[in-house]
Amino acid sequence: MAYLLLLHLIAAVAAPGLVKVLRTKAFPVLALVPGIAFGWLLFVGADVRAGHGPAEHTMWVPGLGLDLDFRVTTLSWVLGLLVSGVGALVLLYCTWYFDDDDPSLWRFTSVFTAFAGAMLGLVLTDNLLILYVFWELTTVFSYLLIGHNPASSTNRRAAMQSLIVTTVGGLAMLIGVIALGVRHSYSISVLLADPPPLDSITIAGILLLLIGALSKSALVPFHFWLPGAMAAPTPVSAYLHAAAMVKAGVYLVALFAPAYASMPGWQVMTLGLGLFTMLVGGWHAIRQHDIKLLLAYGTVSQLGFMIAIAGLGTKTAALAALALIISHGLFKSTLFLTVGVIDKSTGTRDVRELSGVGRALLPLAIPATLAGLSMAGIVPLAGFVAKESAMDALAKAAEGGGLGPAAYGWVAVVALVAGSVLTVAYTARFLWGAFATKPGVARTAVTMPHPGFIAVPVLLGVGCLLVGVLAPLESEWLMPYAASVPTGETPASLALWHGLTLPLLLSTLAIAVGVGLFAIRDLVGRAQSFVPPLIDGERGYVRALRGLERGAVGTTALTQRGSLPIYLAAILLVFIALPGVTALARGGVQTVRLWDTPAQAVVGVIMLAAAVLVLFTRRRLTSVMLVGATGYGLSMLFILHGAPDLAITQMLVETVALVVMVLTLRRLPTKFTRHPHSPARTWRIGLGVATGVSVAAIALVSAGARRRLPVSADFPAEAYSFGHGQNVVNVTLVDIRAWDTLGEVSVLVAAATGIASLIFVRTRSTRLAPARAQQPPSGTSGRGRWLLGGHTVRKEKRSVIFEVVTRLIFHIMIAVSLYLLFSGHNEPGGGFAGGLVAGLALVVRYLAGGRHELDEAAPFDAGLVVGLGLLVVTLSALAPLAFGGTILESTVLDLALPPWGEVHIVTSVFFDVGVYLIVVGMMLDAVRSLGTGIDRQTEQEQGDEQTRQHEGTTR
Amino acid sequence: MTTFQVANIDYIAILPLLIVFGTAVIGVLVEAFVGRERRHTIQATLAVAGLLAAFVAVIVATGHMGLTLGHVDTATDRHLFALSIDGPALFMQGALLLLSVLGVLTMAERLGGTGSDTFTPSGASTPGSQIEAVSARAGLITSEVFPLAMISVGGMMLFPTVNDLIGMFVALEVLSLPLYVLTGLARRRRLLSQEASLKYFLLGAFSSAFFLFGTALLYGYAGSVYFRDLSQAVSAGPISMNGLLVPGAFLVFVGLFFKIGAVPFHAWTPDAYQGAPTPVTGFMAACTKAAAFGAILRLAYTGLDTARWEWTNGLIVVAILTMVVGSVLAVTQTDMKRLLAYSAISHAGFILVGVIAFDQKGISSVLFYTVAYGFSTIAAFAIVGLVRQGGSEATHLSQWAGLGRNHPLVAGTFAFLLLAFAGIPLTSGFVAKYVVFSAAIGTGGATGTGLVIIGIVCSAITVFVYLRIIVLMYFSDAPDDTVAFVTPSAVTTFSIAIGTMVTLALGVLPAALLDLADRSSVFIR
Repeated sequence: MAYLLLLHLIAAVAAPGLVKVLRTKAFPVLALVPGIAFGWLLFVGADVRAGHGPAEHTMWVPGLGLDLDFRVTTLSWVLGLLVSGVGALVLLYCTWYFDDDDPSLWRFTSVFTAFAGAMLGLVLTDNLLILYVFWELTTVFSYLLIGHNPASSTNRRAAMQSLIVTTVGGLAMLIGVIALGVRHSYSISVLLADPPPLDSITIAGILLLLIGALSKSALVPFHFWLPGAMAAPTPVSAYLHAAAMVKAGVYLVALFAPAYASMPGWQVMTLGLGLFTMLVGGWHAIRQHDIKLLLAYGTVSQLGFMIAIAGLGTKTAALAALALIISHGLFKSTLFLTVGVIDKSTGTRDVRELSGVGRALLPLAIPATLAGLSMAGIVPLAGFVAKESAMDALAKAAEGGGLGPAAYGWVAVVALVAGSVLTVAYTARFLWGAFATKPGVARTAVTMPHPGFIAVPVLLGVGCLLVGVLAPLESEWLMPYAASVPTGETPASLALWHGLTLPLLLSTLAIAVGVGLFAIRDLVGRAQSFVPPLIDGERGYVRALRGLERGAVGTTALTQRGSLPIYLAAILLVFIALPGVTALARGGVQTVRLWDTPAQAVVGVIMLAAAVLVLFTRRRLTSVMLVGATGYGLSMLFILHGAPDLAITQMLVETVALVVMVLTLRRLPTKFTRHPHSPARTWRIGLGVATGVSVAAIALVSAGARRRLPVSADFPAEAYSFGHGQNVVNVTLVDIRAWDTLGEVSVLVAAATGIASLIFVRTRSTRLAPARAQQPPSGTSGRGRWLLGGHTVRKEKRSVIFEVVTRLIFHIMIAVSLYLLFSGHNEPGGGFAGGLVAGLALVVRYLAGGRHELDEAAPFDAGLVVGLGLLVVTLSALAPLAFGGTILESTVLDLALPPWGEVHIVTSVFFDVGVYLIVVGMMLDAVRSLGTGIDRQTEQEQGDEQTRQHEGTTR
Repeated sequence: MTTFQVANIDYIAILPLLIVFGTAVIGVLVEAFVGRERRHTIQATLAVAGLLAAFVAVIVATGHMGLTLGHVDTATDRHLFALSIDGPALFMQGALLLLSVLGVLTMAERLGGTGSDTFTPSGASTPGSQIEAVSARAGLITSEVFPLAMISVGGMMLFPTVNDLIGMFVALEVLSLPLYVLTGLARRRRLLSQEASLKYFLLGAFSSAFFLFGTALLYGYAGSVYFRDLSQAVSAGPISMNGLLVPGAFLVFVGLFFKIGAVPFHAWTPDAYQGAPTPVTGFMAACTKAAAFGAILRLAYTGLDTARWEWTNGLIVVAILTMVVGSVLAVTQTDMKRLLAYSAISHAGFILVGVIAFDQKGISSVLFYTVAYGFSTIAAFAIVGLVRQGGSEATHLSQWAGLGRNHPLVAGTFAFLLLAFAGIPLTSGFVAKYVVFSAAIGTGGATGTGLVIIGIVCSAITVFVYLRIIVLMYFSDAPDDTVAFVTPSAVTTFSIAIGTMVTLALGVLPAALLDLADRSSVFIR
């Protein structure tokens, strides 16, 4: 069987080439492919009947349970014959339906063949997953077929609609497939032979499978897609409606009914929705003017009928369902193909325009009438036999109480009869509309079609008759399926005459009323227009899509504004909601000591006040200052806690940050643009407070969770014995954790380079411009030169006091920085703090005297200093190796240096010198880029401005 | 005072990492010393060669599985190893290397110019400024994207390999920082690119901080950052300490969720995906996701596995939100790159469903999914980057109308990739979704089933989204003929072709990779 599918695949691949050579003559060649499948199925028919149909097993993806299992049971045999037989005939019919110059013929042939193959695979496979794969393939291929003529927007919409509805159904089915497969088995025969216990997940799985089936078979509430899909070329519609696609749903119901029909929910979904759909479809069909649309609604109605009977789950019903499937396949394909001929020959499908076609196209009218009578269920056609047995099955089930309370059963029977009435009525309307000679309507001009074009409908139409007459012979072949159903008594053979039974009476009644309805069709039509549409699946579908789209737009507008604060707020909210709240709820908090000295409380209050005030300032500068105040407060707390080293570092870092911020602020507006009373602001404050509380909560919880000694407990002793220093912080930096420091200073170098390259864009090594090289602006005297660069600053910006102070403190600051560097090993300080102080000294020079003054104070490139620092650090790290030590090992050197006397040097001070240089270089870099660089940019812009103004005036 | 312990290092086992980082360093040197004319070719060749060599090394390393880079503390019998070279790690490394080859090849596309077509000649210049014009005229090229990408790949490979929280943080930063830079280097729409880079960086910095915060809390809880110790501490630990454990676990997950773009940490994704140079977007979408899922698996299955009941519910909520938000918001997008970004978000949600399965099947399904998705997504973004109008990328959906008429092959390939994203059978996307969902149903119980149902509903929504594009490409009229697919060089064609072929191959014959993923799904800790 895998070879049959492979054959379809090869044909689908070869079809475009074939079309290029043969044009429409390629269709008969392609028709051979399903033809071969049909022949093979006939060939194995006897085996199937005997109960040992062929089966194949090929491993594909063993890990997933995806195996290419195929088998032929009676059910799949019948469906397979229908799929391949009708497929072959429709392909043959296409030869005359399409024109040689249709540009997309290559695609159509290929997709159609593939579609036929997928459908065949669907009914032959024994693996639920493979079935799903084929299921989705039929969806995709049918989409391409329905959208064959993409020029019209109706086609596009219809194609999209059918695709979405069936794909959604298919996905629901996938859940069912997985739920059954993972927990039980993917093998359909195993699931049927050995049904798993009906726990809730299994039931849900089966019901989801049913949803897939219902959506594919266009039952209410999915029924709207099928009439919409009418936009397809008529042969496609014929195939879709008669044998493929929609039959897949019926197949699935019939497949599982033997084992699961008694499951809760099953009957509601199959029988209930089926009969309801039968009525809804018929109701719509009797008012259509387009005969193709009429047939489409007819299909909806018939599908409801088939699913209702197939889902009934008794032996009689099983037999009836097969008979229904066969008869429907035959008459519906005949009728659609007939419509295709009429459409091609007359150019219209409207009942109000067609007149006298029956007489003109007599060879077509006869088989079409046969098929129509079969649809209406009139003796002696296939439809009659099928409908009789179906009514019989339903009546028996109602009698037997298989449908719950008897009332329900009889309601079902009444619904079925009502459905039959409508069927008769729309059949009459179809035959009358297509073929009758209507008074008052001009005779439709008919171009005689090619005989081959009519041959296929004739063949199928005669089939309707033969299948009806030969019914008793057929039942033998269908009986094995009925036998596989456990409940109900063994049905009587299908036959034209069972005696004067209830079903026959009901049938007769239905035909009489149906013909009556047709006779008073104008009245009925008027009455219909008063009935509001009860079930409008399409509106639901449109609404669902629109709702989805609206919801999506709304959510996007709400969450995805591109605003960073909102993004951040989302993350913070989660932070508060999860870790914050759990910490509060779950964490144990030790007793909290509020303060050691009241001074801490005072500092804390100041910090809090500063933090709150930040919210109320409108000037950027003020807010930076206030934020700085919290930092200085922190360093005060360090001091009060007895950590002078940390305090110094904190204070210096705070100062540097402040300076850098202020330098940057020069390029920003002085005030925030802010709406003080906006709600957004209020809730941002709320969020900020909540985040703070969460962090505080986590801090409290984690502080209370300590149960081991801190690692730093041993540090003072170890720092002295191994690092030869009393300042634990410094020894940690340059000795205990020197590797970390090495890494950190590298990062610092990279950061400094990064800042500089962002500002200068192309190169950092800007030419130095020391003050001495600058011409003093005209009109300034050489007097009062406290600073060399003083004269380069514009007069209104100069501050003599500042210049004097700078002159006085610069050298002191450098000295202090050196002191911090060298004393850091035992006293507070160290290379980092020293470097920061030296850097600040440079900043002071810059602030007092401008950029030329800075170049005077530091007449070297910042990169050079940084690089030198890194070199020193690396060398001092490596140096111990030369003396037989390990990297970063430190020793003490005690030597006599004349002016000072005894000098006690720990070698790690060289490492610290490197750090010092790097920090100085980085500070210089920061001032050069944020100070000098921005100065230059401003000057350049002003220059440009002036030039422009100048040009403006000269013009 | 404990004596210094020499780390045991199995150099063969870490050879892939060494090769990638080594190539990155050589790339930096090339950048410094090789002339501008030859730099692009040398860098691209070097990067690809390094990646392929590393892939070979990964194959060699499969014979050297085990813990490495550390020692066993005999006194306490603790295994203090920084790296765990095990199945998931090597699988991810191999996958990342192959995906990166494709990613780097698309980045190398020059379209006849001297440097990469999608990267700005001068990254730090202000958009529209004179400097930018000057550097373009001077023929500057940003060939440093290759070493940057290599560093990032190194970080990504490290991410699922590390065996402790600190290592994980380092890997996180190593992979992220180059990406922040790469995001800001788009040649066209510079402002958008720079904004994307800034947002990505700022939010990324925040999430990294959360990760670190969480690490600190977990360290406080367990007294160790090693996953093995963490897991043991949870089984032995007192409940009273949960005040540290639970917030710590959540915070660490926040950092990882950010990387995969899980809701509500997804906000950067559309902006960054849209602003970044398109090949970088593809690279990010495929590789970052794979690496981050590797890390999530390791954390969830080896470090916090014993504390599962504390955080599973959170994970479930995130998975649901991610699937729903990703799919629903994809509906309204009008920009192709943003649309694919939301699609990436929803895929992250689907993969999370596999994480929640909590068994070996879950691990292998996640491994398979990330690989399948990665190949499709790189190819998809490569195509998006080549659809141009008037010299710039035509990312607005309306510009794609009728593309199927003018460029049937390209549109067909793209449509196929979209079908894979939608999870239609015979594409890798179907198999991937299937394995994830069946793992969840198989062992996830009722929760798993519920998640799968939500997942399938979301799949249905995304099907709608993707099909709309296909309809647009094939069944709409092109507004004019100015939108064109620029014919790329062989390298990009190669990566698109490979991406598409893998998508097909994994859909039709997934057995080999599934088998490999199954065999690679055992963690060593």
